[in-house]
Amino acid sequence: MACRSPPSLIQAMQSLRLGPSVSCLAAQPAYLSRPRRQARSYMTDAVDGTETSEAADMSVMTDVNQVKAAPPIKLQEINPGNPNVQGLRIVPASPAYFSGNPRFIDQMLELETIQARYAALPTILADDAPRMAWLKIGQLREHLGEIIPVKKYKALLKILQRLNRIKPEMQPDEVRSTIETFVRPGNPFAVQHVPRPVDEHGRARGKGKRKESSAVVQLVEGEGEIIINGKSLVDVFHRVHDRESALWALRCTQRIDKYNAWITVRGGGLTGQAEAITLAMARALLLHEPGLKPILRKAGVVTVDARRVERKKPGRVKARKMPTWVKR
Amino acid sequence: MVSSWCWSCLSRLRPTPRALPPPSAAPRITSAPFHSTAIQLAQPAKKKGPSLTTAKHRQGHQVRRKNKKPVENPVRPPAAGERKALRKRIVLSNPNALEVKGMQDLSPGTMIDGRLRGTVLGLPVPLLDQLRAVQAFKPKQGWSIFRRPGTIMRHDTIEMGRLFEKISADGEGAQKGQVVKKIISGAKGTGKTVHLLQAMTMAFLKKWVVIAVPDAHELVAGVSGYAPIEGTNPTQYTQPAATSALLARTVEANREVLSNLQVSQQHPALTALKPSSTLEELASLGFQDPAIAWPVFQALWTELTATAAAPGMEKNFQPRPPMLVTVDGLAHWMTDSAYRTADFSLVHSHNLIFVKHFLSLLQPGQSPLKNGGLLLYATSTSNNPSVYGLNLGLEQLAARQAGISPSSPEYPQPFAFSGVDPRVMDLFKPAETSSAKEGPLEVQTLGGLTRDETRGYMEYFAQSGLVRQVIDDHWVSDKWSLSGGGIIGELEKLGRRVQNVQTATN
Repeated sequence: MACRSPPSLIQAMQSLRLGPSVSCLAAQPAYLSRPRRQARSYMTDAVDGTETSEAADMSVMTDVNQVKAAPPIKLQEINPGNPNVQGLRIVPASPAYFSGNPRFIDQMLELETIQARYAALPTILADDAPRMAWLKIGQLREHLGEIIPVKKYKALLKILQRLNRIKPEMQPDEVRSTIETFVRPGNPFAVQHVPRPVDEHGRARGKGKRKESSAVVQLVEGEGEIIINGKSLVDVFHRVHDRESALWALRCTQRIDKYNAWITVRGGGLTGQAEAITLAMARALLLHEPGLKPILRKAGVVTVDARRVERKKPGRVKARKMPTWVKR
Repeated sequence: MVSSWCWSCLSRLRPTPRALPPPSAAPRITSAPFHSTAIQLAQPAKKKGPSLTTAKHRQGHQVRRKNKKPVENPVRPPAAGERKALRKRIVLSNPNALEVKGMQDLSPGTMIDGRLRGTVLGLPVPLLDQLRAVQAFKPKQGWSIFRRPGTIMRHDTIEMGRLFEKISADGEGAQKGQVVKKIISGAKGTGKTVHLLQAMTMAFLKKWVVIAVPDAHELVAGVSGYAPIEGTNPTQYTQPAATSALLARTVEANREVLSNLQVSQQHPALTALKPSSTLEELASLGFQDPAIAWPVFQALWTELTATAAAPGMEKNFQPRPPMLVTVDGLAHWMTDSAYRTADFSLVHSHNLIFVKHFLSLLQPGQSPLKNGGLLLYATSTSNNPSVYGLNLGLEQLAARQAGISPSSPEYPQPFAFSGVDPRVMDLFKPAETSSAKEGPLEVQTLGGLTRDETRGYMEYFAQSGLVRQVIDDHWVSDKWSLSGGGIIGELEKLGRRVQNVQTATN
């Protein structure tokens, strides 16, 4: 472990050259605060600090094809008191320096150490572990500034998942903080969906989707008046079938004369719109009367129908249909 | 594909459970059914026969063609006009339907009775021929699913009954002999045409003269002959065949009234007319010879609106009854017609003198019906040509009814560059002088039934044997919401519909 060994003068120099060291990287809270690409930032730093604007233009022209070398290290200037400068050898900060992706390897080694250290701690089932939004492979590549193959990324994830399975109340701070550096900012999965209650005007809002349609239903207590996109139910749905579908949640619970609905529905065709309203209406009704859930579930209006049109494939006439066979 | 199901045949509406096809034969519905449509109404699955596309790939295949002889159709094609007659056929009774016990008839007594609101009253049987003559019934109004024709007494109907009562008051009422002009508006299926039918029935009951244009579109669709009138600018056109048909309908429907009234004015244009003839004979001149139909119609109109006899003809003069004039489908008269002028440009509907006559009745200050009466012109807001001028005119009428002055900024004005038709806008101009005998033009919008009326209407279906569910408040509310707030045409569809009872009741 290079970063754990006592830093020598040379290693300090080396870390100066490399910018923020690997150990610093692990301590940073969020990956977004880091520069996007390390290689590019060296270039711009050098240009901004030393060159004139003319030279900057030239370097912009040339930096696409040429990799500019780092400035030579002048050991004498940095440590003038040491007479034995010539005997010093430049050693990379990380033993993985000459591998393809040293930062990643350092991370892996650290994670493996942690995993070995806390292997004895009790774990929970994977299903019960808190759901974490790990950095995706692209984000991790950007985070480390290295090209990481998928296989290695999966290995990393495996260790992270194992660490995440440690019983939460016994999880050491070290594990927790290490894990957090690999989680997407904000941890989207940690955000629990909180259903909005019925508001102060007595409105419950429900959204639903079906096929290409999406519907929003505002449900208030009333006498069974329905307005869809500012029109009456009859003007929107000419088929009785569709009208029944739209009001099915209210009908099967015998609530049709207890509520008024103000509905906005967009996209798709008539059947899709009607069934999007079904779902939205059921969700809005559940906010008013959560006890109706078993009945609505049995009526089939709680389950989301996630089917969408299957895509057309190349070489086929439609999604599955093959072209007509021709002899020659 | 046309379903083999007969909507109007009650014997098949309720197949017994034994007659139902086994579940395996019916198409399987995999997802949750959010509807109560009976499974028998589903379209049969397509038969998968051998076709070219079912061949496997890389397999020998030959197109097999049978040498089919063209099949000679053993059934002769229908005769000319037969299919149209079938389409236009009006069936007013169905012996399979149950008879509703204690159903009252529409009569001068019941048509003003507020307690009967929400009940279905039968149309008086002796009047049915007259109503058929003025083409008051339309083919798709569902008369054929009941034992006898009947209409519901809704709020608007009772109000109209009271209006009839006031106009034809026997004593000297305040509104006796008044002219009331109304444009009936409303969405599809709200009962505008049936409202006109109810008005005609009431008029016949009150011994009024009924002049009805059952389909305004026919007059401008270019389906009957027309001829220019010499010396008019812009050129106006008569429609002899249409006028003659109107006269025939009017005589057929009002024979009893017209045969008791005698000619009381001079008609120099009609040489064949005897001074002692009745109005029925006068009108029959027109449909015997379509060439003079228009002068005859004018003469008939003069006679019916006369308040006194011409000098020298007072002998047999009787006071003329009030008149009911109805037009169905007013919007078709607000655009160009399908007729062409000599230079092949379109004739505006207002240049057809027949149309012009009926439209001029709407204009204020003309006092068209001197003996009083009612003008009811219905227009749909759903299935009609969209005429900006008419819509704006109706908005202006509604604004005036709501008490907004025409000089107010809230009064609806045409958009700039909208190119609104000035002839249409002239119809809706406010009256400059108000007269006691002539009310202002009003617009009456028909909406849905109330819940109580809906209940009465659906109970009528149940008593006729069409609905087998228990009619309770919940069921009625359900139907009321499904019909878009009691739209009566939609309620009728729901009432006659076969329901999947198991699904609907769970």
